Amino acid sequence: MILSPRARLTLALTAAAATVALAVAVSCALGPQPVSLAAAFRGVDPDAAIVLGIRLPRAVVAALVGCALAAAGTALQALLRNALAEPFVLGVSGGAALGGSLVLAAAAGLGQVATGAGAVLGAAPPVALGAVGGAAAATLLVFALGRLGGRLVPEAALLVGVVFNAFAAGVITLLRLLLPPAQQSRLLYWLAGAVGYQPPGTIAAGGALILLSAGALVLLSARLNLLTLGDEEAASLGLDVRRARTVVFFAASTATGAAVALGGLVGFVGLIVPHLVRRLVGPDHRLLVPASALFGAAFLVLADALARLLFLPLGTEPPVGAVTAFLGGPFFLWLLRRSARPEAGGRA
Amino acid sequence: MARHPLAAEGPVWLARGSAGPPRRVVTLAPSLTDEVLALGLGDRLVGVTNVDDAPEVHGLPRVGGFTDPNPEAILGLRPDLVLWVTDGGAEEPVRRVAELSRTSSRPFGVLALDVVSVADVLATPRVVGEALGAPEAGARLSREMTDEVERIRARARGLPRRRVLLVVGLDPLVVAGPGSFPDELLRIVGCQNAVGGKRPWPVYPLEKAVADDPDLVVNAAVREPPEGLDRLAAVPAVRRGAVVRLRSDDLLRPGPRMIRGLGELFDAIQREPKR
Repeated sequence: MILSPRARLTLALTAAAATVALAVAVSCALGPQPVSLAAAFRGVDPDAAIVLGIRLPRAVVAALVGCALAAAGTALQALLRNALAEPFVLGVSGGAALGGSLVLAAAAGLGQVATGAGAVLGAAPPVALGAVGGAAAATLLVFALGRLGGRLVPEAALLVGVVFNAFAAGVITLLRLLLPPAQQSRLLYWLAGAVGYQPPGTIAAGGALILLSAGALVLLSARLNLLTLGDEEAASLGLDVRRARTVVFFAASTATGAAVALGGLVGFVGLIVPHLVRRLVGPDHRLLVPASALFGAAFLVLADALARLLFLPLGTEPPVGAVTAFLGGPFFLWLLRRSARPEAGGRA
Repeated sequence: MARHPLAAEGPVWLARGSAGPPRRVVTLAPSLTDEVLALGLGDRLVGVTNVDDAPEVHGLPRVGGFTDPNPEAILGLRPDLVLWVTDGGAEEPVRRVAELSRTSSRPFGVLALDVVSVADVLATPRVVGEALGAPEAGARLSREMTDEVERIRARARGLPRRRVLLVVGLDPLVVAGPGSFPDELLRIVGCQNAVGGKRPWPVYPLEKAVADDPDLVVNAAVREPPEGLDRLAAVPAVRRGAVVRLRSDDLLRPGPRMIRGLGELFDAIQREPKR
């Protein structure tokens, strides 16, 4: 059966949205504490507080972060014309973490001089802005230094990203030493990526930023199709390559920055999800970007539920970033080996 | 969160419970568990952290770590009071629990105690006693602890002041710096902290430890193997054997155990021959 493009889009997005809903439902039903869902929906505490006040916001944050990272990953793969591109591997997430940490450190320094001003700067919105700025700076750096002889070389850009990650990690370690102890643990807690306990205002602000930037990437998806053809071909088809690239750049950086501000360093979502979704819906970005964004949301919600249940007997839980790295590290290597095979071509 | 030192500003209620003494108490720090036990109210505890080691709470449900309490586990215990020592790492989960209490059909108290100085530690029993509806017992315990501190301070007066390096962690080397409560404890037992600077719990360069040339090294890192002190062999005091290893980490537990630890520290220092 051959479907029209519109029917394919509708079908894929319906399936993806249903998966997100299912993932959120599963995440709300599972947790360390046995609860009665019936009691929760009747508003009986503590069941209602646990399901609606803890698990649901946590699922929402995981969904937002997953959506942002998967959409950014898809866009970066199109920009770099390489399936290994991903916000975490490319250093974009590391840049966001560095940007946010710098704002936290500046807030602590300012707090020594003027307590009120320090508190204002150390609040969630400036830290999130720092993360977005850091993500944009890292993206610019990676793409600028990834050019050899005027051509963007994906492998070079990936290497720059890896090195930048190590650099960012080192600087964050230094910044941590400068912070007072209470701020140190806040920084660690944030970067470890324990999602969902932020105040509702922070979640709403981060969510708005993510929906805007992911929405922008969906609107730009037709141009992503042209960009994957190569600069010259895209230009010959009438695309203003420089402008299109810049806009995609900033949308992907904003999505990643907001995701890091909400969830800390969660890696490989932008690698695993677009790859699997590409197998499902094909390489057309008009389908791939929205479907990746939605499946990314579902993926991270389920990964977070898994993180919550995995170490239950030990009475603790790993941050969700540990689960995605556990899955994503081997996946990256497998993709790398596969794309290195000559018959698979340069692009996976 | 801005600091609100307990002794100076009192505790901060992040959420208020209904009237009447609480019967189901969750403590989010071992030192707070110790306070409740010392007040003789251990039967009201329904949940503690997974780093709590007091034998009295051995069988109680755990609600996560000191820096990563699990809100779901806390709510599941249907507490009517949650006691928390302010810590940046746990701030978001605890605030979420307080928010949910405020919007809940049966709100419960969430009390934040910002414990930094020895004065804060001494004020804690009074605050916990008041929160638990046992103000006399709390005030009595605060008084007893204060008296014991003053007794040790008086005994230490007039003894030669020695410069002490108080080691909290060996790998990496972490020491008690100015502004930490052990720094105050050293002064109470008549010593001077060999560590200068501004940071309360610095990761300390070994060279600085050597250059500080303390008269005595107190090893309070009791959870690490004693051989770890070999790393400090370049410190002259360690070479001379002027080292006191504490028997427990009571000194670093900002509650009733700290007072016990203070007595142990004082006795150990007095036993050490002077240089």
